[in-house]
Amino acid sequence: MILSIALAVPLLGALALAGYPRWSAVQARRIAVGAAGVSLAALIVAWLGFDPRGAQFQHVVELPWVPSLGVAYRLGVDGIALAVATMSALLFTAAAIYPVDTRGEPRSYYAWLLFMQGVSLGVFLTLDLLLFYVFFDLSLVGMFFLIGRWGHGQPQLSALKFFLYTFAGSLLLLLAIIGLYLSLEPHSFDMRVLIEQQPLAGGGLYAGLVFLALMLGLAIKTPLVPLHTWLPQAHVDAPGPVSAILAGVLLKMGVYGMIRLPLSMMAETFARYAPWVGALALLAIVYGALVALGQGNLKRRIAYTSVNHMGYGVLGIAVAASALGDPAARQLALTGASLQMVVHGLITGALFLISGSLWQRTGDYELAHYGGLAHQAPLLTGFTVLAAFASLGMPGLAGFVAEFQVFAGAFAVYPWLAVPALAGILITAALFLDMLRRLFFGHLPASLATFSDLARAEWLVLGVLSLGIVTIGVYPSFVLTLLESASSALVGGR
Amino acid sequence: MLWSLGGVPIGAAVLLYLGGARLDRNAVTAAAALAVTAALGLAALALAGGWGAASYRWSDALVLTLAPSHAAAAFTLAVPLIALPIAVYAGFHELPPGAAGRSGARLMALIVAFVGAMQLLVLADDLLTLLIAWELIGACSWALIGYRWGEAEVTREALTAFLTTRCGDLGLYVAAAAVFAGSGGFSYADLAALDGPLLDVAVAGIVLAAAAKSAQLPFSAWLFAAMAGPVPVSALLHAATLVAAGLYLLVRLQPILDGVAWFAPLVIAIGLATALAGALTAICQGHAKKLLAASTSSQYGLMWLAVGVGFPAVALVHFVAHAFMKAGLFLSAGLAARESGGHELAGMRLGRRLPGVGATTLVSSLALAGMIPLGSAWSKEQIASAAGQQALWLALTVALAGGLSALYATRFQRLAYGRTDRLPASTPPSRGEIAALRSLAAGTLLLSVLWWPPARQAVAGWLATRWPPSHTWLLLVSLALVLAGIGAGWWLTRPGRRVEPASAGQAIVAEWFGLSALLERVAVAVAALARRLARFDDAGVDAGLHATARVADGLARFNARRGEAFAEGLPDSLSRLADWGGAWARRAQSGQTHHYYSTIVIGVVLILSLLVIGVLL
Repeated sequence: MILSIALAVPLLGALALAGYPRWSAVQARRIAVGAAGVSLAALIVAWLGFDPRGAQFQHVVELPWVPSLGVAYRLGVDGIALAVATMSALLFTAAAIYPVDTRGEPRSYYAWLLFMQGVSLGVFLTLDLLLFYVFFDLSLVGMFFLIGRWGHGQPQLSALKFFLYTFAGSLLLLLAIIGLYLSLEPHSFDMRVLIEQQPLAGGGLYAGLVFLALMLGLAIKTPLVPLHTWLPQAHVDAPGPVSAILAGVLLKMGVYGMIRLPLSMMAETFARYAPWVGALALLAIVYGALVALGQGNLKRRIAYTSVNHMGYGVLGIAVAASALGDPAARQLALTGASLQMVVHGLITGALFLISGSLWQRTGDYELAHYGGLAHQAPLLTGFTVLAAFASLGMPGLAGFVAEFQVFAGAFAVYPWLAVPALAGILITAALFLDMLRRLFFGHLPASLATFSDLARAEWLVLGVLSLGIVTIGVYPSFVLTLLESASSALVGGR
Repeated sequence: MLWSLGGVPIGAAVLLYLGGARLDRNAVTAAAALAVTAALGLAALALAGGWGAASYRWSDALVLTLAPSHAAAAFTLAVPLIALPIAVYAGFHELPPGAAGRSGARLMALIVAFVGAMQLLVLADDLLTLLIAWELIGACSWALIGYRWGEAEVTREALTAFLTTRCGDLGLYVAAAAVFAGSGGFSYADLAALDGPLLDVAVAGIVLAAAAKSAQLPFSAWLFAAMAGPVPVSALLHAATLVAAGLYLLVRLQPILDGVAWFAPLVIAIGLATALAGALTAICQGHAKKLLAASTSSQYGLMWLAVGVGFPAVALVHFVAHAFMKAGLFLSAGLAARESGGHELAGMRLGRRLPGVGATTLVSSLALAGMIPLGSAWSKEQIASAAGQQALWLALTVALAGGLSALYATRFQRLAYGRTDRLPASTPPSRGEIAALRSLAAGTLLLSVLWWPPARQAVAGWLATRWPPSHTWLLLVSLALVLAGIGAGWWLTRPGRRVEPASAGQAIVAEWFGLSALLERVAVAVAALARRLARFDDAGVDAGLHATARVADGLARFNARRGEAFAEGLPDSLSRLADWGGAWARRAQSGQTHHYYSTIVIGVVLILSLLVIGVLL
């Protein structure tokens, strides 16, 4: 029930905003923040009511929908889904509060934002494979309009590229989902049945093809190198809060999908291909970091670090899927990978909101045009330094806890993948410190003499996200307990 | 309870940072000094009260633990003790009179936080806690070195220093992961229980991390980059914290690390090479702070050697002696630089302008030279004796390194505070600065007590160790080399001789035998590779997508023209064919009987012939 509230309130809010024309910009924003906040509160209640020692899926709701096809309205969460969904709801609330230029169409902007929240949470909360696909695809629609209508630069082109590329991935995913559905007797889209029965465990060409289609579809969304080129352009042209959603929530669907679908439902097939998936993740880690270092555009740089960070997530999943190695190490890697989803959402969300603030003030993302802002905008500097250090894996902040676990777990299983992956840690340090240097230190260009520091709405939002980053960095046990309940079921339960 | 040793200073630092901007200079300085004193008091309490191990659980696999140890006890006392005068000096030297301002509060807060993180580092009882503290002091050092962020060069140097040390930090990641892979935990006890290749990997990682932090070869050059920071920061990094962390790790874990056959020879080789190379670099340097920085590497090289030959406690004592003298020398260099308007030794010789400072500095310089009866002379002597346990030539090389130290120490002292006939000082140092300098010199003098046998036996008892047997002849050789070094230094600094490197060769030696340039070149190469990959990503990887789009577009156009024409044409032609057939058939309906009859006849013949063919076949 509580999950249905989390899912329905944003969607109803979106409907109301779209249908009732008389609300002003301020009212529209208030309604959006309110709906997003109610949804977040519902998820927090669900979190408090979650028993880490209980069943794998909790808060389960099931209503028949199309019984002949085995489709039903099924909601339910394990620890990983709940943590990622809660982080997403927090990020949506933050994005709704964060000031943005709505181009005179505040109602439709906030309606689309709430729509995005509803369908994104749907992806994480559903236990029905078909619903998963529907929500997965609807998120593309929402993002297409948000980028295309409120973006800058070449928003139409970027939105189209984003949509077509990721839609191609969705189609592969659909094929794979149908493949999974047909392999089950009687046919059903119930994820719990699929996880329990492992219908394609025998292996063979059919299982291999379904696995390939699943992984390709999810890898585009994650994104893994070389399927990542839709990402930077979509980010650069999207408004700041939308970028934060894109990186913080949409990318998680790929990684989360890998845990929920192939890792849970095709464990045996995944185990066979795990080293290859791990090698691709390593490529994403090193290549993503290097390409990010080579960017002179602030947003492109942050966008490419997402490729790097999601690489750690996929590496952790590949390690967890491996047939080799100690279960404790594989579980550690999976816990790290799931935590990586949560912390990357917070950190990169904060970084993209910050870049949105810079755009609102200057209309420029070129790092070379900045400098010396530390004196002018101490709050902005402080929050950016914190987020950058969190992103480069500084202990005491959230990123370290996730990456350390992925690394330690990966080393025990695939040391030949883990050690080169460390290069990513060094390169991200270089690229973030270089970014800070170019934005905030050195001489202040004359054009930035009137640059204003963060407004209250901005620093409040960044403050909350930063608080989350520091809390997870210092006291991670509250979220680790939740994640471990899921990862032990996934790794130990085979 | 042990957590408070790190937690109190770090918490105080946060408060100082948030609230210090509005306080005036004296208040901020007093608050910082108070926080450091609190750290010192807590360390003493912990030692006196015998505080036990403490742990903090993150998850089943990740548990952070602190535990007391002999090495930790010495460090937890020494670190705040050295940091205290440095913090006072920083307040008076760096902060403007009046309100401290944001940057002043930041400097003092970072110094206090650095002390807290260092306390955590030395108390850590597992590799995860160690790694956390290890990276925290790295981040503090970045912020401190980049303190004057307005100058573009400064933040670049801070970046270089941070990246070089983080390069070594990766070794700790590997070591921690190797211990986890072998035992399922991260504690030092798990490390001790490790064997086989995983132990080799773990030890290699730890040595890498220690070498990078301790500025040993081949990582020494980052210390020069760190010189971009203000003087008290340099004093703090070199004397008590960052550089010391590497040595601390070796001292703390030496019994475990020594379980690998190649550990001792490798550490001896690195230490010896750095001791000699650093000394030569210092001898050729013309920049006051860089001379001291090179000497730091060199002195830590000697400490490494002591660990390598199996006497970590000797290294510990030399660390303490070095901390007092090096902190004093850096603080003194700061005063000299302010007086002369730059860090170039060539422009100093301030003996007449800063006579008091010069005299106080002489104590530290003599200690750096290893002159009897100062404490550092005894600890250096112990290193030589310990090395003598392994091989005679090793002991003699240590003595030679000691002679070289005497040379560069003399060079520093005479170039900075030699006498010329210049005007008296225009701005005398403040009381706080002088007090800091004097207390460090007093510490150096106090350590002379180590020459008194009961005192050093007490120290040995406290550290639960024994000293290597010393030899009179070795002492005499060392003393002769020190005197020779002082003489050579005196001669090299005679008035009229140029201070800057005279030849290209010397200039290369002065920059760590080209290591600084190599570091620069690696950075440039990586940046170039990154830019090339970024272009490749746009032009190459994304081109695949564009090509796909173009192919699809082309297909669509082709279909629009040919495909549509074909699809349109097929039913069209069919209908035309039917049309034509219809027309033809209509022509058969001519209404003339003979036409019908002949058609019937043709039909009958056709049927009959088909039947005949069927019968015949």
